[in-house]
Amino acid sequence: MRTTLSELAPLPAPPASVAAGPTHPPGDLAVWFFILAELLVFAVFFAAYAFARAHDVALFNAMQEQLDRPGGALNTVLLITASWCVARAVQAVCEQNHAALGARWLAGGIACGGGFLIVKCIEYADKFAAGINLSTNTFWMFYLSLTFFHFMHVILGMVILAVLWAQTRRGIYTPGHANGLESGAAYWHMVDLVWIVLFPLVYVMR
Amino acid sequence: MQYKSQAVAKPYFIAAIGLFVGQILFGLIMGLQYVIGDFLFPAIPFNIARMVHTNLLIVWLLFGFMGAAYYMIPEESETELHSPGLALALFWIFLIAGALTIVGYLLLPYARLAELTGNDILATMGREFLEQPLITKVGIVIVALGFLYNVSLTVLKGRKTSISLILMLGLWGLAVFFLFSFYNPENLVKDKFYWWWVVHLWVEGVWELILGALLAFVLIKVTGVDREVIEKWLYVIITLTLITGIVGTGHHYFWIGTPGYWQWWGSIFSALEPIPFFAMTIFAFNMVNRRRRDHPNRAATLWALGTGVMSFLGAGVWGFLHTLAPVNYYTHGTQITAAHGHMAFYGAYVMVVLTIISYAMPVLRGRAANSNRAQVVEMWSFWLMTISMVFITLFLTAAGILQVWLQRFSSTPQPFMVVQEQISMFYWMREVTGVIFLLGLAIYVASFFMKGEAAASVSTTSGRGEIGTQTA
Amino acid sequence: MQAPRTHHAPLTAARSASLLGDFMSGTFSKSMARNVFYGGTAFFVLLFLALTFDTQGALPKRDNRDKLTPAVAAGKKIWEVNNCIGCHTLLGEGAYFAPELGNVYKRRGPDFIKAWIQNQPTKVPGRRQMPQFNLTDKQLDDLVQFLKYTSEIDTNNWPPNIEG
Repeated sequence: MRTTLSELAPLPAPPASVAAGPTHPPGDLAVWFFILAELLVFAVFFAAYAFARAHDVALFNAMQEQLDRPGGALNTVLLITASWCVARAVQAVCEQNHAALGARWLAGGIACGGGFLIVKCIEYADKFAAGINLSTNTFWMFYLSLTFFHFMHVILGMVILAVLWAQTRRGIYTPGHANGLESGAAYWHMVDLVWIVLFPLVYVMR
Repeated sequence: MQYKSQAVAKPYFIAAIGLFVGQILFGLIMGLQYVIGDFLFPAIPFNIARMVHTNLLIVWLLFGFMGAAYYMIPEESETELHSPGLALALFWIFLIAGALTIVGYLLLPYARLAELTGNDILATMGREFLEQPLITKVGIVIVALGFLYNVSLTVLKGRKTSISLILMLGLWGLAVFFLFSFYNPENLVKDKFYWWWVVHLWVEGVWELILGALLAFVLIKVTGVDREVIEKWLYVIITLTLITGIVGTGHHYFWIGTPGYWQWWGSIFSALEPIPFFAMTIFAFNMVNRRRRDHPNRAATLWALGTGVMSFLGAGVWGFLHTLAPVNYYTHGTQITAAHGHMAFYGAYVMVVLTIISYAMPVLRGRAANSNRAQVVEMWSFWLMTISMVFITLFLTAAGILQVWLQRFSSTPQPFMVVQEQISMFYWMREVTGVIFLLGLAIYVASFFMKGEAAASVSTTSGRGEIGTQTA
Repeated sequence: MQAPRTHHAPLTAARSASLLGDFMSGTFSKSMARNVFYGGTAFFVLLFLALTFDTQGALPKRDNRDKLTPAVAAGKKIWEVNNCIGCHTLLGEGAYFAPELGNVYKRRGPDFIKAWIQNQPTKVPGRRQMPQFNLTDKQLDDLVQFLKYTSEIDTNNWPPNIEG
């Protein structure tokens, strides 16, 4: 019979908080692969932006003046608020076991996302009215490409939140069984995170 | 063989290999014409040989895909094929139509063929890879519909696995995107734009779903790794494939009259296209390392691993080499493209079809695996074909780099034909390597006729290798 | 008492391997992988369609459609039914056996192109041969018109020089 280490050198059991603590990210690995892939796409896109800007700083600075910074700032607040709502929703379900409350927080997140889309549409309408499109120049190409690519992510994120809202209301998620909720929340935070990089990079940084 | 109707796959596989031989013979003719310009002229001009070479490739891969589906779908669905008779009838229709088309290419001037086959009704001919006469294109659609009807009904009445769903998605996508071959506007830019919806969205889109499904099926069989594990990784890989590959179409929209922003979109997304191929390589090796049994068919395992590695090299690495717009500006339409095309097609699609044939043919012939002798011969053919393809690619790459240097990059650019003569040494080396490829192919065919006792089945229950088992 | 959180430990190689292990030990379900596949695919298909839509709108300024006369259309068909793409490239696409023809109009001019096609094959021993296609004068003119139209497409300054 083999003698185990613990028999030779008895140690106190590790504190429960360590033994039971989560050692892996919340949500499903499949979603994390997707999130990493998406972040990589955005990272390459941002790098391309930096590369293009370095080649024509004057143009980028001049065009940047025409961007709607208050609108962008408002959108930043909206997305951060949405992320906060989603985090509270996960907390409500996973820690308080309160599905109805979780659903209300999710609805709040969706509302903030909707607000983002409205502000963004006003901004787009303004730009399109000025005759700006993807072929105007490199700056506007990047502005429209990056923001529209992100815009579509917000829509996808809201679709996911809407599904989560419906499922949470039906009480599908309970503490310890909220893989889908955590996965969708992680995706939404990614969408938020990308904007937090995009906004200063495209709207503010000079 | 678990289901009798799987047997219809056999003629498909045999036809695929036969047409493969034809493809390589015409490849060698073209290779020789590159250095001895008037070889076989005017009997077989280069454009005709090339059309036969590329069309045979497409047709034999389609035979391979259909054979694979007829073999896999009953086993995955755990039910007999809806109609083996229809499958057999379509086989003959497709084979005869394909053969007639090739004969038409070889015996008639192309313009005459166009005239005889109704190209005046709807002009679709004379575009790269889509040279088939209108009636052949319609025939392909009919065969594809009959085939899809047959396998879809089989899937619907039986067990629905992820592998069969992904395979069906790939095959339906193949048929749907082929419909763009009927769209040939007078506007050259639009013509080219949608031409890529067939070509790119096939080979860097839906075909990769088929590739993934075939590879996953064979890996389940030869490794005994849990289906759940293989299927979820398959989903992750094809997700990566499509999120990079669909918008990656943009790397064909740099210089054909399409807006400049495609240079950014195309470069960014296609630069990420190697990732799914890399993931596929890691996946294949990981599954084989974690195998729960040692399948007696070692050759099939070798082909499966080879598919992973060579598709990564050919499609991933060689694709990346010239996919960024500033690089592509100089390499577009040179031998660099040819180099990439050869290794990508071989590494991804030729090898995956040979993988499924290697696995399924012995079973269709009533044994789990071929004799050791036959397998050794088959593995020789694997190495001969694969290594010669690597060298064909390297020689074409060298030719391409020189071509770019002399004709495109130089401050005193030289005319096309002057440059071609200066790089002819590499074409000679490519041709010699091509002969070795043919030798490998001959040995491959010979392996089907090797006798000997079937290799014994070795079965171990304990998991082999612990890498990544915790993810199961 | 709160135990020290493990992620404050310095990031050594062993530590990152164990982090990766932790990462990989999370839930990983096939149904979620499938949902991500369908969702991700639908997303990128829509994105591609949106870009296609924009391209369709941007093409009129670039694709020289004002010059797309019936002669050009007829020339394109002659280009196709003689399988010219089987040897040549056109805007870099096709076979790499013979010269690029997207800019041949600018490189050689109409008269040279017509004379060249009429005088094929050269029958120079060992040299690459172009077949004789027996085109009429009208067909030659149409083909030249097509090549002229092609040479005026906005290709973002490709090819890099006149040699194609």
